[in-house]
Amino acid sequence: MKTFKIFGIAAIVIGTLATLTLTSCSVEQATAYKSRSGAQAWGENCIRCHSTPSPSSYNDVDWSTIELHMKVRANLTADESKKIFEFLRTAN
Amino acid sequence: MLLFFLVGNVIAQDTKQDTEIDSLVEAALLRKGFKPSKTQFMIRGYGHTGFTSTKSDTGHEKTKESTFDGGTFAPIFLFNHNDRLMFEAELEFTLSHGDLDVGFEYADVMYVLNDYMTVRAGKFLLPFGTFMERLHPSWINRFVSKPLGFGHGGMAPGSGVGVELRGAFYLGNTKWNYSTYLTNGPTINDGSDEPEEAGMLHFENLKDNNTSKAFGGRIGFFPFADSSTEIGYSFYNTNGTGEPGSEYEKTGAFLYALDFSFVKQISALSGLVDIKAQYNNSKVEDAFFTETHDDGDVEDYTFDNESNSFYVQLSYRPTMSGNDFVKNLEFVGRYSEYNTPEGAEWESQSSQYSFGLNYWLSWRSLIKLSYESAELEGGHGSHGAAKVKTFSLHWAIGF
Repeated sequence: MKTFKIFGIAAIVIGTLATLTLTSCSVEQATAYKSRSGAQAWGENCIRCHSTPSPSSYNDVDWSTIELHMKVRANLTADESKKIFEFLRTAN
Repeated sequence: MLLFFLVGNVIAQDTKQDTEIDSLVEAALLRKGFKPSKTQFMIRGYGHTGFTSTKSDTGHEKTKESTFDGGTFAPIFLFNHNDRLMFEAELEFTLSHGDLDVGFEYADVMYVLNDYMTVRAGKFLLPFGTFMERLHPSWINRFVSKPLGFGHGGMAPGSGVGVELRGAFYLGNTKWNYSTYLTNGPTINDGSDEPEEAGMLHFENLKDNNTSKAFGGRIGFFPFADSSTEIGYSFYNTNGTGEPGSEYEKTGAFLYALDFSFVKQISALSGLVDIKAQYNNSKVEDAFFTETHDDGDVEDYTFDNESNSFYVQLSYRPTMSGNDFVKNLEFVGRYSEYNTPEGAEWESQSSQYSFGLNYWLSWRSLIKLSYESAELEGGHGSHGAAKVKTFSLHWAIGF
């Protein structure tokens, strides 16, 4: 019964996600992720949990430490993390 | 004249020498003293303090309380060994009812295996939904309180001791993140010491009480390229929650959560809209517990051990306003519910409305003014109802 419930819920969730995946596939979106600048990624991802940090809040070395912490905590992709923290180190 | 000429020459020479020395010292400091080391240690964290006033009405008794909250100090220690290896830990010091409570939030070591996989080991925040892992720190949480069902006495696991694999990736035109973990399992309260909590699960076991571990995970999905929307599904499963040899040793539990997040700057509304929601469900396999009546009679009883809770939160910040004061304001509302099993000694139904007006002093510091109205029925052997209204003014800062 429990196994049935687990698979039932998982099937519903995966089905919903698959539908959303198909509906969200578009030519614009295919290129959108890859063309995101560091500033765009910073503005769009940090704010999912907290306000966007000011680049001048930390120096380059501190941003490097925060980079690894936030990459893991916020589950950022390697590409996003690299772009965001390169932007912060450039703009601080 | 000759004297002035000689003195002038000496002063000019001294100035030149000073400049040369300064530049040499600066170069030496840059080269030696201020050259970043390969390992970095950093302390970050957050804290908050404020004032809370509470009115409670149980139908036959009304009480009023007000207090300045002593505050919370939560330092986060980050030790960056290199680009791939880090140790992180968080403690939480809270002044509560005249005592200093020390919480051990997490302490784990993480290693980045590749672009798509990071392994963590130790005590870490569990990605059961998003609230406890990402949103609970006081400078991130828009209210002073947590939604119902989270925190002490709640049903959602907050942290666990074990190992975790997590990462994020693009799949086709979409973005996903995942986490899967194996931790010490929860312990079921058998009611022997606390009969009013018989059947309740307790998480965060630093040492497991049996060989059954908890296996769980979360998958998050971003349907749009601007990362504005995230939908997540989490689960947490264990095949045994009781002590070895006890009748609860094979009493399993399955929990799941659905979470939703939408954060986007909308020009038509001249500001930032932030919507968060999470639904939690917990089902523990049926088991019998013992109740001792006042006359000494002992009776076995059972109940459908299923709990659920959810919250929805909406906030709006007029970030595109031309007025500096107005753009730092934030309006926020939240509704949450928490229902525990019918027939349990801790059976309860509670709901809470919260309204808040926040002012952001900086990107990591805010003043929170909030009003909450909660209705609670039952809970911990009580069958009465209570209405609680809370007014809070808090200042939170992240550092």
